[in-house]
Amino acid sequence: MSELTYLDAIRHAIDEEMARDPAVFVMGQDIARFGGAFRATKGLLEKYGNRRVINTPLCESAVVGAALGAALAGQRPIVEMQFADFISCAHNQVVNNLAKTYYRWEQPVPVVLRLPFGGGVGSGPFHSQSPEAWFAHTPGLAVVAPATARDAYGLLKAAIRDPNPVVFMEHRFLYRREKTVLPEGDHVASLGRAKVLREGRDVTVLSWSWTLHESLAAAAELETEGVSVEVLDLRTLSPLDEETVFRSCRKTGKIVVVHEATATAGYGAELVARLADLCFEQLDGPIKRVCFADRPSPYAKALEQSLLPGRAKIVEAVRRLARY
Amino acid sequence: MDVTPSVVGLASVPVKVLRRAHFFSRLSRAWDFRFESLARTGQIGRWYSAVGNELATVGAALALAPNDALSTVHRDLGAILTTYLDPTRLAPELFDAEEKTDWDAFRPQPLELLHKLAAQVLGRRDGFTRGVDRSFHYGLLKPEWGVRHVGMISHLGAMIPVAAGLALAAKQQGSNTLALGFIGEGATSQGDFHEAMNLAGVLKLPMILVIENNQYAFSTPVSEQYACERLSLRAVGYGIDGVTVDGGDFGAVWSAVTNAVERARRGDGASMIEVILPRMRGHAEGDGSYEVIPQEERERFLAMDPLVRFESELVEAGVIDQARVEAVTTAAKALVEDALEWGRASAEPEVTEARRPVFAPGQIAEAFAKQSTEVQS
Repeated sequence: MSELTYLDAIRHAIDEEMARDPAVFVMGQDIARFGGAFRATKGLLEKYGNRRVINTPLCESAVVGAALGAALAGQRPIVEMQFADFISCAHNQVVNNLAKTYYRWEQPVPVVLRLPFGGGVGSGPFHSQSPEAWFAHTPGLAVVAPATARDAYGLLKAAIRDPNPVVFMEHRFLYRREKTVLPEGDHVASLGRAKVLREGRDVTVLSWSWTLHESLAAAAELETEGVSVEVLDLRTLSPLDEETVFRSCRKTGKIVVVHEATATAGYGAELVARLADLCFEQLDGPIKRVCFADRPSPYAKALEQSLLPGRAKIVEAVRRLARY
Repeated sequence: MDVTPSVVGLASVPVKVLRRAHFFSRLSRAWDFRFESLARTGQIGRWYSAVGNELATVGAALALAPNDALSTVHRDLGAILTTYLDPTRLAPELFDAEEKTDWDAFRPQPLELLHKLAAQVLGRRDGFTRGVDRSFHYGLLKPEWGVRHVGMISHLGAMIPVAAGLALAAKQQGSNTLALGFIGEGATSQGDFHEAMNLAGVLKLPMILVIENNQYAFSTPVSEQYACERLSLRAVGYGIDGVTVDGGDFGAVWSAVTNAVERARRGDGASMIEVILPRMRGHAEGDGSYEVIPQEERERFLAMDPLVRFESELVEAGVIDQARVEAVTTAAKALVEDALEWGRASAEPEVTEARRPVFAPGQIAEAFAKQSTEVQS
């Protein structure tokens, strides 16, 4: 197979799952003929028809509610939010209806919500957010955030096959920049497993999605200074693979959490809390966070860049912690 | 578009349907009477009575076929009973053998289901949610019984898109079933109403929304809820069918829903049926919301009692006699008493139930169970 982008990988995953299971279908705004704002579903209408590739009006809440209803009737809906930011319009359906159904009356609801999220391209306050913490806070939702094209493919396939609601965070900046060659055959990744992407001795960086790549770049730079950085890709934020995270913490004793979402009550705060509780004896320094400043995402690129947690800020935080 | 309530009467309704409607309306009301009294005496927390809504909920449910999806909110006990139960086995003394329908033949043992419902509303171990959620906040998906029922969340309007999704699945699966959802007039002001009805119009979904307009949402009268003349006028804006009917006219309710059912099955899309009902109770028993309605209005509402009107029309038309009215009322009361006794005998839920899995079995559930927050807390 030739090299695929992160976006191609997502399209392949959906295509293969639709071919495998007639209950799988996609719906969202502009996703049929047009193929979606990012063309993630391009070509699927021609292949599967308008009963399984459904253009909807502009109605985020009704689409998520309808996905729940369809799932209760035996379908496996994949909903595309045009931008992750717009899921706030569907918040009630996600956190009260979708998330609570299985706990309340034990009916599985296999619904995947695809959320193109994140900034870095000067899109301003309403097309740049990283809302994972809104959903990680809600029992009953899984939150998955692939960093690589290979994971975008394997984790999306796993999410579609799982019987639970999954908030699937796709980074817009990675769509056409990340590439992979997929292995032959049906490659389904494991949900709920973090990965050590770079081994190191001195400091562990915990990250996911776009900031994972910035963290890897920072680690490469720090190596030239003699700082050995271990980088973990969490991949699934909720539920968290504590075993892999704690093992790395025991190894290095120093942790930096890097995420693109704003700092206060971000998902990093949960990581810090669990580490402080369960790895207290193994820690050799304060746990540091490198996050977006507590502001909406400004529009002008220079302004946005000044608030984004990029490589330079990660290098600085890790360097200081290494010296601690 | 018909926006004028018209007197339809009983002549167009099959006698079997009328006898069944009367039984289930009385059963629903007997249930409410009993649970209202439990609420008044502090034996249960809250009770949201469906008194006055029975003809609308029972009439609509009687227009459905096996495995049509049913979405209910808090005053729809009549639809639940009608959909779940085989009356010929529940009250064999009241029904002739030939009144058994094809659907009844594969409905479950009715008394067991009635018992389970009592345990559910009492929050006991044998209820549908085993104590995890209250009253009608549950679903029952039993295609083998012809029952596909999805219960409410408290956000009410949020259930309309779910009904649209049930209808969408029916269309995708080519099943020729449909989805019927109930909602009060209050929740028609929520955004989900608009989004879902527009979606149903655009996708031409086999969906019926029955609006139980009982004139007040908690304490808010319709004059403060919406400014249009009739809620069914909104159907024009969605390109769907809309009609307003008098909820005291059983024939009007049943015919309107039956027409909408035929329309949905023909592939002609969604309908909205507004049923005008008298507000005969407050929002919840004892919350003071009935008392804020002017006394003359309350008296007028209570005098309009759709069930009393239905009974007098049934007797007048010779469908049933007064003796049967009394026999049905007595039997309904006894069935509710029996169910309540059984529900009370059901134990409080196991405390371990609170920590039951939040994810269905699979990779996510396994990963969730390994977290320290699960293992230690």
